[in-house]
Amino acid sequence: MSDPSSSPVTAPPSRQAQSGARFAVELCDVVKRYPGGVVALDHIDLAIAEHEFVAVTGPSGCGKSTLLHLVAALDHPTSGTVRVNGQDLTTMRDLSSFRRHEVGLVFQLHNLLPRLSVLANIEVVMYGTHRSSRARRERALELLSEVELSGLEYRLPTQLSGGERQRVAIARALANEPRLLLADEPTGNLDPDAAQRIMDLFEKVNADGMTVLLVTHDEKLATRADRIVKMKAGRLAG
Amino acid sequence: MPYPLFALTNLLAKKGRSLGLAAAVAFAVMIVVTLAVTSSGLEQSATAIISIAKANFAVAQKGVSDLLSSTIDASERARIAKVPGVARAVGVLVATEKINAENPVFIEIGINPSDLGPFGVTILAGHAFAADATNQCMLGWRAAANLGLHVGSKFAADGTVNTVTGIYSTGNSFGDSAAMFPLTAEQAYNRLPGIVTLVFVKVAHGYSVSAVERAIDYRLPELTTIRTASQFGRADRTLVYLKAAVTGSTILAVLIGAIIVGNTMLLSVFERTRELGLLRAVGWTRRRIVGLILTESLVLAVVGAGIGVGLSFAVSAILENVPALVGILHAHFTQGAFWRALLTALGMTIIGGLYPATRAALLAPLKALSYE
Repeated sequence: MSDPSSSPVTAPPSRQAQSGARFAVELCDVVKRYPGGVVALDHIDLAIAEHEFVAVTGPSGCGKSTLLHLVAALDHPTSGTVRVNGQDLTTMRDLSSFRRHEVGLVFQLHNLLPRLSVLANIEVVMYGTHRSSRARRERALELLSEVELSGLEYRLPTQLSGGERQRVAIARALANEPRLLLADEPTGNLDPDAAQRIMDLFEKVNADGMTVLLVTHDEKLATRADRIVKMKAGRLAG
Repeated sequence: MPYPLFALTNLLAKKGRSLGLAAAVAFAVMIVVTLAVTSSGLEQSATAIISIAKANFAVAQKGVSDLLSSTIDASERARIAKVPGVARAVGVLVATEKINAENPVFIEIGINPSDLGPFGVTILAGHAFAADATNQCMLGWRAAANLGLHVGSKFAADGTVNTVTGIYSTGNSFGDSAAMFPLTAEQAYNRLPGIVTLVFVKVAHGYSVSAVERAIDYRLPELTTIRTASQFGRADRTLVYLKAAVTGSTILAVLIGAIIVGNTMLLSVFERTRELGLLRAVGWTRRRIVGLILTESLVLAVVGAGIGVGLSFAVSAILENVPALVGILHAHFTQGAFWRALLTALGMTIIGGLYPATRAALLAPLKALSYE
């Protein structure tokens, strides 16, 4: 177990991002302790500028997924503050709305709904937004084109390859036009070629202005990000 | 994909279970609707008797087990006639008799021939019976057609063989399916000398019907006036008890159905924990998750109600033709029966769906996503 009294390591935004940019993500002295005393995050300070592409790497169990879950408002820190796009998640009441509009999530397992078509899987995250049924469909088609899956609209997830499923998951994450894309080991189950294509997509959306926070244990893939943040035993390792 | 279609997709993913659930809803709806329409049919038959006569209202004995047990003696009848505003008070004795297998509860009305006109009887063929005759009768035109009898035919009833002296019409299907006998003969056969079942009152011109009703209710507290079907329970307690039993059965069916629906929906929520967690993770609100589960319940309710009503039609038709129930049970489908079907189905599915829906909404997204 880590010593909570040890001094934290702070990871500042990259030099390119520091030049007058606002922060998309700010973690200040964040601690996440699970029941039983396991400390997953140990006094983390991390800032990610808007439009930055950051990869968080580290061995299994080092706390990188926990960090991503806090930024995605899927979990609460034990102490410290998490700010995303200027909003303090620790005091925010409507986290559903935040998750719907501010962040797009891509998981290691694509988590597509197996009985829904590719198109419907993308549309499903747009229920409850201002979009009409027709607008949802048009947006889903547009996204499928962006992830180069046009023509597979009515396939079921079981009829797609692993890489194609993950691209559908990325399209779903982008559906509500979030400002921050969060990906948790998105290439973990893919072959190298498919993994490179997924990274191509992340670079593309980042180039279009979206902030990307990628969690991966693959250091080679991580080099495609603007900045690599390494973690070890719940702390930033430099 | 429109949102309701998404809910439908969830139901279609487990076709067998959804059909089973819809069948459970349909079964409960069928029971509730069949009970409602048959009790409504009984009520209609029972209350039809008060609408035979061309009168403003009927008077019966208060609180009897069923209307045909009402007894009004000659003195009470005379007191009714003396109430200010009563233009005419026609007493009739109503009884039932099994004529044959097709007519197990044939209605017989004892009435003085002098009251036939005021009662609203039009003689279509033949003539009225004599007041003191012991073996004469008239048949309503429906009864005559049904029995294949005509003027001059012999009709065995009231313990004797009667000559049909005339065929009449009252303009009321219930009255036209009955037979009329001289009041004294009917009283003698039923061993009720001087007794009538109902007194039909015609209010004199210029008097308020309600005021005359109130006066009779006040002056003859052992009797009650009946103008509408809803007032029928004042005299006939059986229908009141029957309605209470139907209401009780409905509540019971809704509760049992809700438990079945709730249990099955809960299983569905458990199976879809990961999926619901994903929906929460991508921004679905708790309210929307509740809405999804309840929408699925609603679809089941509508499908179940539709099937249930269809089954009720079929079951009612079968019951009406069961030999022991022929002529007794008449299904009377009203708009109310359809509303009852829908409300029963909605009650079952919404009450049953609320707990699973709440459970689904309270799932922590992260925990749900790691659910195996």
